[in-house]
Amino acid sequence: MAWSMWWREPRRTYRFPGKMEVEKYVYTPGLHGLEAARALKEEGKFLGTRCGDTIYYPPTTLCPDYTEGELAEVKGPWRITAYTVVRETLEGERLEKPLVIAHIAPDDAVGGLIHYVDASPDEVYIGMEVEPVLKPKEERRGNPVLDITHFKPRRPETEE
Amino acid sequence: MAGKEAKLPGTYLKGDEMYKLPGLVEHRPEAKYSFAAGQAVSRFLEGLKEGRILGKRCPRCGRVYVPPRSYCEYCFAPTGEWVEVSGEGEVNTAVVSYISTFRERLEEPEIVGVIRLYAPGYTGKEDEYEFPGLFHKLCGVTPEDVMSGRVIGMKVRPRWKPVERRIGSITDIECFEPAEG
Amino acid sequence: MVVARPNIHVKNRVAIVGAGLTLFRRRMLETPRELAWEAARMALEQAGLTLRDIDCVVIGSAPDAFDGVHMKGEYLADGAGGLGRPTVRVYVGGGTGVFVPIAAWWHVASGLCRSVLAVAEEKMSPAHPHPQGVFAYIWDPILERPLGPNLIWIFALEMRRYMYKCNVDKKTIAKVSVKNKRNALDHPAAQAAANITVEDVLKSEVLVWPVQRLDISPVSDGAGALVMVSENEARRVTDSPVWVEGVGWTLDNTHWYNRDLAYPRYVNYAARMAYKMAGIERPWKEIDVAEPYDPFDYKELHHIEGLMLARRCEAPKLLEEGWFERDGELPTSPSGGLLGVGNPIAAAGIMKVAEIFWQLRYEAGARQVKKPVHKGVAQAWGDLMQAGTVIVLGN
Repeated sequence: MAWSMWWREPRRTYRFPGKMEVEKYVYTPGLHGLEAARALKEEGKFLGTRCGDTIYYPPTTLCPDYTEGELAEVKGPWRITAYTVVRETLEGERLEKPLVIAHIAPDDAVGGLIHYVDASPDEVYIGMEVEPVLKPKEERRGNPVLDITHFKPRRPETEE
Repeated sequence: MAGKEAKLPGTYLKGDEMYKLPGLVEHRPEAKYSFAAGQAVSRFLEGLKEGRILGKRCPRCGRVYVPPRSYCEYCFAPTGEWVEVSGEGEVNTAVVSYISTFRERLEEPEIVGVIRLYAPGYTGKEDEYEFPGLFHKLCGVTPEDVMSGRVIGMKVRPRWKPVERRIGSITDIECFEPAEG
Repeated sequence: MVVARPNIHVKNRVAIVGAGLTLFRRRMLETPRELAWEAARMALEQAGLTLRDIDCVVIGSAPDAFDGVHMKGEYLADGAGGLGRPTVRVYVGGGTGVFVPIAAWWHVASGLCRSVLAVAEEKMSPAHPHPQGVFAYIWDPILERPLGPNLIWIFALEMRRYMYKCNVDKKTIAKVSVKNKRNALDHPAAQAAANITVEDVLKSEVLVWPVQRLDISPVSDGAGALVMVSENEARRVTDSPVWVEGVGWTLDNTHWYNRDLAYPRYVNYAARMAYKMAGIERPWKEIDVAEPYDPFDYKELHHIEGLMLARRCEAPKLLEEGWFERDGELPTSPSGGLLGVGNPIAAAGIMKVAEIFWQLRYEAGARQVKKPVHKGVAQAWGDLMQAGTVIVLGN
């Protein structure tokens, strides 16, 4: 048995690379999520979960009191509740056209979603009325975010 | 309440049904990591590069740790002295793998095992619960040796990679092979 | 390692008064939080309570990397009924499922909460191409992963060592798989229930010898939940509470290849802690029904020994004698276990506790064991052969 009494710190700390060995994740839409996906894809409609007098959007299936909710259509109008302006890419490059990203909530439901708004940073404001612009029906997959290309300000001339 | 007749909630998706659902969302993770080996194991890896297997000894209880730890997990004291072991030992357990990490069928089955290393303080007692040892590949043995149990208790020693191909990794040892005599 | 000396002078006795499960399946439509909700709702319904009656919530889920959702506890909070309540997520790998009711126990036993909803959920189907890829991350990145290990290796190594030390052959071990898959035929959640023979197991695909396809439980989606309350509450809501008489848990180190895998020390220490609390001195005589963790068939035998329900290396012999059948001396996995019902990791553990709960209330229907039952034990194991979680229940 060879005994060695020398004491030495390692010259360096060894490092080993690793990579997440999952090719991809596939997330199912869930119970109400599936119905909402169908309605968006087929009819261009938004569905939420109704619990008593309140509709929750995106649909939650369950209500705060733990009972099952009902599907209900969310009609809007949609309004900006908060926004931010992105001027640089992740890599720090200046964007030619600043990007307006907003939290948009429908008047007739609790909740909302985050999306792009096709407006200049100067004209956007909290409480601004916007409307979703959907992809053409044949391109829609039922994805509640990607099936919407963006939101656009609802201007008086489009208001009939 | 939950006898066989109970109707349980849950919606099963058969076969490819899932992939046809509207509203399915996919995401590709791009998580990359860099793991630090730490002081004790880095020194251990340097040792492998030199063709030596190093361990550390707890000055309080005398336990020899191979692979080395910076602290004794029982005494909660820093381990002091470095100890070199010969690399010889006995196979504690071994199996034959017919599949790869990602469950593809292997053409040539691979034999891997746990090697209990001879070290200072090694009692030779079979029923010792803890021991210095390594998890590694075994070569020079056949699947039949594993299945018959012949391989368990077999005396083995490391087969080193040529010096120029060692990089300071556990794979600097190619495998453990039967020690003649 | 030393056995923990539990302080048994707790403020409140704790009872289980309701249990719920979803189906266990390879893939399900529900989102993880919907699965949690479905199971929890069923548990509340059985307890005759509503969410308003719940003070605190304990959530359990195994690695985030299966669901592909980080901060799983926070994500599951609303589905698990945790909104606006003191809510915590606990995690000890495969041991999580039994650790959830253990954590719920200390919430109530300490006097902090009168009623707790204990929810475990797992959705393994999001990870593609196979959840196997996630398991690659349990290996040590420096000393193990460079060897290109497959998860099954570690089980095969342990199984081989157990076979060697106890001189057991694969034919005997296969009988666990046969028994559990058959028991599962009577379980309403079952994913892998079947009438198979020892030959079927021995003829199934050899993955890592000695482990073959039918030695292993399937990957699953599913959820389970328990309602656990203090003695006062329990007396108010039910005539047949099931008491938590003892809990125990232990962690060993991750250096699994520096230990003799033939015996699960970590399970034994957890069991001794739980038995001590429950005042059980001879578990092999005093326990009437057991749910040892069985992700692999040999593990059930291994854990039976760790739980001291059989002497070391004696479990295979008792198995051969029919000791562990539903009409045997000490029925084990009457539910069908993970091998038969399925293995949505954390949910599978809570399914085992739910089974002991139903058995002790004589509510298990066709699964009810033949002998009279007073005390039962459920156990789970986790991580690199290192976590043991044990709960002892009594009626």
